[in-house]
Amino acid sequence: MTASELRVENLKVSFSGENGRLTAVNGISYCLKPGEILAIVGESGCGKTVGALSLLRLIPEPPGRIDAGSILFDSRDLLKLTPWELREVRGKDIAMIFQDPMTSLNPVLTLGDQLMEPILRHTASTRQEAWDRAVEVLRSMEIPSPAEKMKQYPHQLSGGMRQRVMIAMAVSCSPRILIADEPTTALDVLIQAQIMDLLQHAQEQTGMSILLITHDLGMVTEIAQRVIVMYAGEIVESGPADELFQTPLHPYTLGLKNSVPKLGHKQEPGKRLVEISGNVPSLNQLPSGCAFHPRCPSVMERCKTEKPVLREVDPGREVSCWLEEASS
Amino acid sequence: MTDASSNPDLLKVRKLKKHFSANGSFLGNSKPDVRAVDGISFTIKPGETLGLVGESGCGKSTAARAILRLVEPTSGEVLFRGRNLDTLSPKEMQDLRQEMQIIFQDPNASLNPRRRVEDILEEPFIIHNIADKTERKDRVAELLKKVGLAPEHAHRFPHEFSGGQLQRIGIARAIALNPRLIVADEPVSSLDVSIQAQVINLMQDLKETMNISYLFISHNLAIVEHFSDRVAVMYLGKIVEMTSSEKLYANPRHPYTEALLSVIPKMESGSDQPRLLIKGDIPNPANPPGGCAFHTRCPIKEKQCETTVPELKEIEPGHFSACLLR
Repeated sequence: MTASELRVENLKVSFSGENGRLTAVNGISYCLKPGEILAIVGESGCGKTVGALSLLRLIPEPPGRIDAGSILFDSRDLLKLTPWELREVRGKDIAMIFQDPMTSLNPVLTLGDQLMEPILRHTASTRQEAWDRAVEVLRSMEIPSPAEKMKQYPHQLSGGMRQRVMIAMAVSCSPRILIADEPTTALDVLIQAQIMDLLQHAQEQTGMSILLITHDLGMVTEIAQRVIVMYAGEIVESGPADELFQTPLHPYTLGLKNSVPKLGHKQEPGKRLVEISGNVPSLNQLPSGCAFHPRCPSVMERCKTEKPVLREVDPGREVSCWLEEASS
Repeated sequence: MTDASSNPDLLKVRKLKKHFSANGSFLGNSKPDVRAVDGISFTIKPGETLGLVGESGCGKSTAARAILRLVEPTSGEVLFRGRNLDTLSPKEMQDLRQEMQIIFQDPNASLNPRRRVEDILEEPFIIHNIADKTERKDRVAELLKKVGLAPEHAHRFPHEFSGGQLQRIGIARAIALNPRLIVADEPVSSLDVSIQAQVINLMQDLKETMNISYLFISHNLAIVEHFSDRVAVMYLGKIVEMTSSEKLYANPRHPYTEALLSVIPKMESGSDQPRLLIKGDIPNPANPPGGCAFHTRCPIKEKQCETTVPELKEIEPGHFSACLLR
């Protein structure tokens, strides 16, 4: 195992609700290799965000609880670190950007204060040094007149600009891993493209790895090397991005691919989209067997009672589906 | 119905404007108006779907509201089946509302959480005094079936449904009175990917079975292309390009449309068309740039774009574009 590889093993996270505990993440394992962009895709409630927040122990405990698993980074288990040790990792080795740049920036502090905080905490010794570094990262995020922006407040910036500041803050201490949780969901399409370009550029410049959490399949195929598809708290399929969407193995991945209209392929009038029937199951009423079976177009008798396990079917490609087992 | 036969357009919008006054402080230093919708014109034929695309703040939702008279337009005309909505009495307007309905973006916010689904769906019949109590129950059950829900769902409250199901209820409410036109304001953007396709398919089925026309508002170009017959692209309160959806995607003429199309991921390997990256943000609509409003971000702009306002011109039959250079 290389030093900066992040290995998540059998991570389980649950929340206490009115009717007992709900398992949001049910035993997921994956590894993030140095310098790679790995995307975790899924719909709301599939556990992708909770899984990512748990990496830095950012879920509120209680009601949340990490029930099992380990997160190995630098031959240490992040789940066993003391709060103090964890603070050294957060922002320095592993940084994070969030979905909504408005609520994740402090409205009453200047951008400069917020940008300098992690730098002062982790790398710089003087305020001048921190200031210079902050201006430098703002410039690298293509923010016009960065020195002026340092004295401004978040509300004075547009949404796209705020997200740039968030990214600048995240990369200011040269982290080895960046967790990006739906970084462009709240932004307009043209701004989304700008932000993704910046992220990709920053990755190439620094060689960091990016864990990209998203529901946007298109974005994934554009920038990620590998993809993990989650459904109802579990990984249902993983593999290289281009292969996974060219030849999806899991019926859920195929369904996701087909339910997005393809641009420039205007079908004859009246042609319908291929939809996935039914609804995303709620965590307190998970179906028996394979959690996807009530919505699956190729469901078999076995799927209703027995839960499939994730297994490698081709080098680098994993899927958890009985269909795949039957066909091989 | 002489009106309808002499005028085949279901909806005709002419030079519609909606300006919001942005009064500064009470000391009276008033700011310029926000010109949310600044003179847009288009028509929708019976059974046709017009997509309205643009980024946030471009005025597409305000346009929808002004057309339905949910906000009072500043100027311009809206003709529905040949009748100018401006000249109607409140009573006539209310009657006409049976024929024009709206589906909102967030079904959670647009359904009253304290009322049962049956009460929500009964409301249109009560307001327009259609059907008695028992008949209303039957109509509600029928509506629920039409949108793919079970009649038993009528007794439930909105919080007992998922987002996709709630949007189905929103759609059921909109089609209750057999409307001719439905304005759908970002109807799927708050839904999960797998549910979006379901709702789009439902709306398409209703279009065919009930001969409904849609004004379909969205920022998602791929969905708009799939769902619409024609598409209008808005930027800062104005329509900058409008044509059939096939043409718009095959042959976009306005640089803004081109940029919007180029950033959509193709989801196929091998189509490594370069992305047209547009710098900068949408200008503040209260203080739009002079000349062509897009010139601050346009990759091909020239000197004249900063001063001359381009008109929406017909560059080939049925294809309108507002660019000085093309």
